[in-house]
Amino acid sequence: MYTDLLHALPNVFALANFAAVIIGVIAGIVVGAMPGLSATMAISVLVPFTFGLEPLVALGLMAGIYNGAMYGGAIPAVLLRIPGTPAAVATTFDGYPMAQKGQGGFALQVAVVSSSLGGIASAFALMLLAPPLSKVTLLFGPSEVFWVAVFGLCSIIFLLGGSVIKGLISACFGVFVSVVGSDPIYGNDRFTFSQLELLDGISIVILLVGLYALPPVIDLLEKPLKTGVDDNKLGTESLWKALPRMKGFWKTWLRGSLIGIWIGILPGAGGSMAAFMSYNEARRSSKTPDTWGEGEPEGVAAAEVANNADTASALIPALTLGIPGTAVAAVMLGGLLVHGLQPGPMLFRDNSDIVFGFMWQFLFGAILLVLLGGSLATNSFAKLLNLPRPLLGAIIIVLMVIGVYSIHGRMFDVYLMLGFGAVGWVMDKLKFPLPPVVLGLILGAFAEENLRLALRIGRGDWAVLFQNTTSLVLVALTVGVIVVPLVKSRLAKARQAEGQA
Amino acid sequence: MFNIFKTTALTGALVLAAGAALAEYPEKPIEVIVGYSAGGGTDVMARTAALFIEKYLGEGASIVVKNMPGASGQIGVTEVAGSAPDGYTLGTFNLPGMMARTIDREAGYDRESFTYLANVVNDPNVIVTGKGSGLTTIDALIAAALEAPGAITVGMSSLGGDDHFALIKLQTLTGAEFTIVPFKGSAPARTALMGGHVAMGILNISEVASFTEELNVLGVATEERSRFAPDLPTFKEQGIELVNGSMRGFVAPAGLPGDVVAKLDAAFEQLSGDQDFLKAMADTANPVEIVRGDAFKALTSDLYDLAAKVWAETPWN
Repeated sequence: MYTDLLHALPNVFALANFAAVIIGVIAGIVVGAMPGLSATMAISVLVPFTFGLEPLVALGLMAGIYNGAMYGGAIPAVLLRIPGTPAAVATTFDGYPMAQKGQGGFALQVAVVSSSLGGIASAFALMLLAPPLSKVTLLFGPSEVFWVAVFGLCSIIFLLGGSVIKGLISACFGVFVSVVGSDPIYGNDRFTFSQLELLDGISIVILLVGLYALPPVIDLLEKPLKTGVDDNKLGTESLWKALPRMKGFWKTWLRGSLIGIWIGILPGAGGSMAAFMSYNEARRSSKTPDTWGEGEPEGVAAAEVANNADTASALIPALTLGIPGTAVAAVMLGGLLVHGLQPGPMLFRDNSDIVFGFMWQFLFGAILLVLLGGSLATNSFAKLLNLPRPLLGAIIIVLMVIGVYSIHGRMFDVYLMLGFGAVGWVMDKLKFPLPPVVLGLILGAFAEENLRLALRIGRGDWAVLFQNTTSLVLVALTVGVIVVPLVKSRLAKARQAEGQA
Repeated sequence: MFNIFKTTALTGALVLAAGAALAEYPEKPIEVIVGYSAGGGTDVMARTAALFIEKYLGEGASIVVKNMPGASGQIGVTEVAGSAPDGYTLGTFNLPGMMARTIDREAGYDRESFTYLANVVNDPNVIVTGKGSGLTTIDALIAAALEAPGAITVGMSSLGGDDHFALIKLQTLTGAEFTIVPFKGSAPARTALMGGHVAMGILNISEVASFTEELNVLGVATEERSRFAPDLPTFKEQGIELVNGSMRGFVAPAGLPGDVVAKLDAAFEQLSGDQDFLKAMADTANPVEIVRGDAFKALTSDLYDLAAKVWAETPWN
């Protein structure tokens, strides 16, 4: 197998194939940086065009876009507190406060280096460990996937900090949105009000754009004179000077890569859950957890390394089993099918040059990210902030509308997005956390579908949820996530009381 | 004054229309509406077939594939049903799904809304078991199901689809009872089977062709062995009259002019013998079985009747 890997290498360096990766990365950064345009969308637009292209040109474009977009999403997340992609939500936690403090340039450099490292780790996992890791995926049946979703939801509610009650309400709102559409088992309509547009449920991009992009834009327009970030004072310096300041991040990078790869091989959860978990874990093990959320560069590193580390690994179950780990991988699977590459164990034997070439392209896409994203994209996007605020606000609104409209080509989604925008604005003012809504939508649907499948397998007996080790480990983790913060705060209070006495 | 304008405009329009009718079809691009996203099985079938249909329509004919995904293909097929029957809007059509949706929900179309051009793909159902299940023959599987009714869990891609109907047929034929576990799509069902989370699966032959070493394929629901996987035995050979599958083809709105139908029919006829086309379809996991015109319409009617019967006996929602 490893000889096949090397055999595929020369072809990757053919001019057209390599150029495709470069173009893909640049396009990905741009797409990711625009609120409302996501990697999923860019690749689904691309798929029909790849019919006439050579396989490695088409796949190179996709690999590049995927890597680029996962970093691109960080740019507006840092500069405007608008995550460009669902996976960049966790990047806003510390990235935006950094930008406010005049360290936006450094935040973007941390983001690009972390993204690139995450992507490289993920590409190696895909190249070297795809067959054994796909065995791990097989361990996760409906009851295990249900627990993964519950674990993800609990960690976001209990570890995010702030009010647990408000976090719970936010998560419930997200879960409710996930219920809209056809029933995952029976297919009957739920809360669709006879709208055919709602039958497939509400796309995460519509919710994300409305909830996250509209309130900051309203803020932008509310205060037309005061600028959030001073002109040109992004604090940009050359990447080589910035690198030494990141040398303490290696633990976070390692941990985030492993989390990202692990989340990637599980069906469905995707980059946003990887980024949240990595952020939570990094903060928990930090010596100064209190500075997190106020502009801690390591927070940006944790989120960005993980959301790129699930890119290539999400393709492991996609290529070996036909089940994509993320929405983007699902679209890419379509792109592979177009070129006659059918997922399965035979894929690696029958089309080894193309499949391994594709994996190399992932690796090079991740490496190119530092070069292309580092100076070029970061500087030019940072200039956007020098635009007059009303103009910037107007441009973002136009992008949002175009992005949302183009998902299915209908105005209905745009109105829905504006509705979510109003909800998001109110939630923002009342200090309800927004991330649980996003994860509630993503994981709520998963939890429901898999719980119901598990119960069908167990023929109605709830014991099926606790029947094997994998499930029990996940249950233990979930309980830990809920109980540990409670115990900690009790202990802290007790100690405080003692100190006072 | 106004009336004169109106009359002139009308006459003009009539002359133009007559001119259009005289010109050879197709004189502008033909749009094929696919009710699923780009890169899905139906989309790949449409795009692959489009290249060859263009060739056989001749005279620089061009086909544009337009994806209108959503609501299990319903949004796209409803659009086709409501389009002008001029031959410039065609659509993909999936069986039994498109008919089942007219039964389990309110649909904006019915059997009579279409001119049936040709079914192109017939992907027969297969029954598979996990390697660890110990059920290596269809007889052993049925014996186990008869012994403990409902104890065998069956992974499939959805309720009200071809795999569901195949299971109902199997239950009627053998009297065995199974517990249905409807996943979202066939790949998750197949993975759950490989991981041992369900005991048995009903899938389509194209979905298991690459996984014959990881799964026990007990049989194929065809009359004769499938050209797609000639090594796999049919159920008929094993004494069970189970024939069922998932089909995809092309339709146009009802009331298509006769000359247009003839032209398209000729193109599909040539398609069925084109070796390049058959190879391109085999490469993208699409077992070809072309059924044209009235035969396709009859096939649709049969499947509608089957779906209606199943719905009446065991509604799935």
